[in-house]
Amino acid sequence: MAGQSDPHISIFSAPEVEFLAEDEVVEIVPNIRMESLNMICGDFGPFFPQIPSKVPLWLAAALKKRGKCTIRTPEWMTVERLTQVLEAERESPREFQPLPFHYVEISRLLFDHARDDIPDIYMVRSLIEDIRDVRFHKVETGLETISGRTHAVKLKNLSAMEVNIVRPFMVRALQAFYKHDSPQMIQQADTMGSKRSQGADRGPRRDLRPR
Amino acid sequence: MPGYYDINDILMEEEPIAVVFQVGANGVGLLDPGAETNSVEKGAKVDLPFWLAHELYLRQAVSISIPACFGQKTRKEIQADAACVDLRIRCPYFYELGCKIVPLVSDKSIGPFVRYAFTSRYKEILSKSHSAPVATVPKFLPRLTKEETQLFEAARSSMAAFKKWRVGGSRLEKAPILGRKRKTTFPIRPSTP
Repeated sequence: MAGQSDPHISIFSAPEVEFLAEDEVVEIVPNIRMESLNMICGDFGPFFPQIPSKVPLWLAAALKKRGKCTIRTPEWMTVERLTQVLEAERESPREFQPLPFHYVEISRLLFDHARDDIPDIYMVRSLIEDIRDVRFHKVETGLETISGRTHAVKLKNLSAMEVNIVRPFMVRALQAFYKHDSPQMIQQADTMGSKRSQGADRGPRRDLRPR
Repeated sequence: MPGYYDINDILMEEEPIAVVFQVGANGVGLLDPGAETNSVEKGAKVDLPFWLAHELYLRQAVSISIPACFGQKTRKEIQADAACVDLRIRCPYFYELGCKIVPLVSDKSIGPFVRYAFTSRYKEILSKSHSAPVATVPKFLPRLTKEETQLFEAARSSMAAFKKWRVGGSRLEKAPILGRKRKTTFPIRPSTP
């Protein structure tokens, strides 16, 4: 599945990524009694007042808009957890902390639709911003290590939106490096003394991992 | 990436290349502005667009000399400070031309040189592109070649799109046709006799 916004390069736009994130499951506490809802993507409910129930984010947002439920903040979106994550992100410059794949989008959707259900909303918002900044800085330092010998890039725990931001740049950069490092371009006589000679046998390409 | 329909690939092939004719050619005096007769002498130095030079090279009619943008002067500048060299003024299709010209000349150092230039200039683009302000055009942009500009724009536009979304850009909305109330119309059937 590729994004529809630009048919030429298969990238998603930010609203498209957000749309995908709306399928993530959140917990709601309804304040009404309602029969179970039978959707194409599954059955949700039945709902009873004050009994928590799990529904996709789009349904939670729709119910919330009509004042029929409160959305429970996911447990990773609390101030304590986010502070821990931010510290861990700052301490380990080589790896990303595990966060939900759609944490950027989920947090924005919750900020928009359920701001009264999130305790310490300003703190949570600024923590998430900080985490995202720290992580993006890591991505950039990782991108610096891309060279002609980069075959693939391993990005463990990187989230959907973060990948989506760097995708166009990274794909082009890798393509360019691949082209310039192809055997047709670099032939046996390597007369520029500053570089290692790379003949036909260039050894296995090692995959550098921008952390 | 090269392709038959790629406009950049077509424009790249217009780049003038200095060639030396290995044979005399009659009736093509317009190729050589200095020719007095309607023919090009053997050994004449002429600038031809890359596509023509390539075809003539394959027929062994000309030999291709190394374009100035891959010459010693540029190399020294690239080695001194790659990021500050104005490559666009030298050749806007520096990398693409480099890739195409490598198989045609005997100087095998062009390939590594092009790679070295890209690798060292890439870091500069990377460090500036994602954090570049959206409204203003950065000062170093006119120095970049076509390929580098595309790389830069890819990063800048995706970052700008993200920022726009974060501060409350548009959401995906349902198509207007889905918002209409359904009307139930009963088809009027002709009464059967």
